[in-house]
Amino acid sequence: MTTEWNGQGLPPAAMARMERGKAGGPHASLFGISGQAALEACGFSVVGEVMGCIVHHIGFTGYGGCGWMPANAYGGYGNFGNAGVGGYGLGNRSGGYGMGGRPGVRTSSGGGWAGFAPYVDALYHGYDTAVLRMLLECRDLRGDGVVGVTLEQRHLGQDNREFIAYGTAVRAHSKVRPANLFSTTLPAHDVAKLLHGGWAPAAITIGISLAIRHDDWATLQQARAWAGNTEVSGYTELVHHVRQDARQQFARRTAAYGADGAIMSDMSLDIWDIEPGEGHRDHVALSFVHGTAIAQFHKGAVAPTSSLIVLPMSDPPGAVVAGRKP
Amino acid sequence: MTDIDTTAASLGIPEDAMKRLAEMKPGKPGALFTSDLSVNEFLLVREAGFQPLGLVLGSSIYHVGIQIGRWSKNMELDTLSQAMYHARELAMTRMEAEAATLGADGIVGVRLDIEFKEFGNDLAEFIAVGTAVKAEEAGNWKNNQGQPFTSDLSGQDFWTLVQAGYAPLGMVMGSCVYHIAHQGALKAMGNVGRNVEIPTYTEALYDARELAMSRMQAEGEQLKAEGIVGVQLLSLAHKWGGHTTEFFAVGTAVRPLRDDHVIAKPQLVLPLTDR
Repeated sequence: MTTEWNGQGLPPAAMARMERGKAGGPHASLFGISGQAALEACGFSVVGEVMGCIVHHIGFTGYGGCGWMPANAYGGYGNFGNAGVGGYGLGNRSGGYGMGGRPGVRTSSGGGWAGFAPYVDALYHGYDTAVLRMLLECRDLRGDGVVGVTLEQRHLGQDNREFIAYGTAVRAHSKVRPANLFSTTLPAHDVAKLLHGGWAPAAITIGISLAIRHDDWATLQQARAWAGNTEVSGYTELVHHVRQDARQQFARRTAAYGADGAIMSDMSLDIWDIEPGEGHRDHVALSFVHGTAIAQFHKGAVAPTSSLIVLPMSDPPGAVVAGRKP
Repeated sequence: MTDIDTTAASLGIPEDAMKRLAEMKPGKPGALFTSDLSVNEFLLVREAGFQPLGLVLGSSIYHVGIQIGRWSKNMELDTLSQAMYHARELAMTRMEAEAATLGADGIVGVRLDIEFKEFGNDLAEFIAVGTAVKAEEAGNWKNNQGQPFTSDLSGQDFWTLVQAGYAPLGMVMGSCVYHIAHQGALKAMGNVGRNVEIPTYTEALYDARELAMSRMQAEGEQLKAEGIVGVQLLSLAHKWGGHTTEFFAVGTAVRPLRDDHVIAKPQLVLPLTDR
């Protein structure tokens, strides 16, 4: 039986499961035996499996335009957005692309209506909400954070997308509780190694950027079948800016948590063409970066533990690797 | 070794970690690092005495020209060799420039990838990604070109290399795109049902690999390296069909840091994992 839920807090089914968990029901864990043992050895116990999801309708992706920047418009491109993104800092390139206009890269983080900002904002909202709901479940189970989180996005058709985050909530054997619940996509083993090395996982961090660039005459010439060996500078510029923007947002979000650094788990890039006008094609690139912000808690320059050179007695044999001594 | 559980807790690991998370305050951007090293690599690079400064990358979308080999002739397709080489150089140089702006001593864990794109003919993205690092103690880690060192070694291998008294100088590579001759019909008929070597094929593969390796070695000599470690010799078909292959040799040129290269005797362990 389902009830009408207003979107606040957790859905009734999740609330009911959390109640059972709090009442002392058996807890579930997504870790393997050794992962659980590794975390237990660091002073963290499993409190239960947690999940958060949201189905989001993305009805408006924003107007990408064709990426062509007319000369003299918008006061030299500066008004659109954040020059730090680099999307508009193209003034020092050789000019001469025809009519005095210039092909520029429009990234999604130029604010308000720049590029595909509404679309990227919707993606951020999807992932952030899924993680937030997962942390709500974690809080209900009295956990301190969630380890081994899987982030997924599924297309349900008709502009609807589901964002899911699930992982295993853990609680530290500690009198102090964190200011914000931590979350990480790193598996239990890696979290245990980080903790032994004097670093704590702080939060899942993502960076997303979408950019468009006009296929100008020079680009079309360079990409022609008989162009010979040549860099296609327009496409290079497009992928450079979109990755740069995604990485900057990733770093900005890491800094916003107050972490000392971030370990990137994945950086993906898609590039495809669209037809914004009759008979004309432009290229769009999407970059997605995700990882874990980490914070150092050991005081000295050297980690509290030291490596031990070990030779594992398992397959593949013979490799000298460095393990860590507790 | 028996009281692992209490050791971690008695060291105060959970307590200290939670305290740090309790004190988290938004910091100023720029003071932090990003890295795509794995946790193992990150910890080992730290232990080797280096601090990660940030992820660095360079990329180039390149239009690879067209060159068709003569049907019955073994030959290097030098236009394609040059393209593969030039585009990788562009990506690597841009990555190194990013590292230089961060004031890095070197770049570890470099990955070189090539992806042929769906949307255009003969368009490929060449990308170089790595983590820029700085030594905690001052020292000269740059190579003889005054550039930060680059290395495609994993964090584990990097740690072991430094422990053994070697320093990486730079990634060196050599590329050769080779067209292997087709066999004439008469020749192929003659071999039906027989076990024989096909000398033209053998020779072609030899030639191509030797060219790639000698180009890599020439780069090592330029860096005045003592040797090249972690060499991979790859045959990449890309999308040129069966008879045209890129032979690509890549490795890390190293120099000695000291005279002896003794490393502590490893302990034997029996892991409790199923791998």
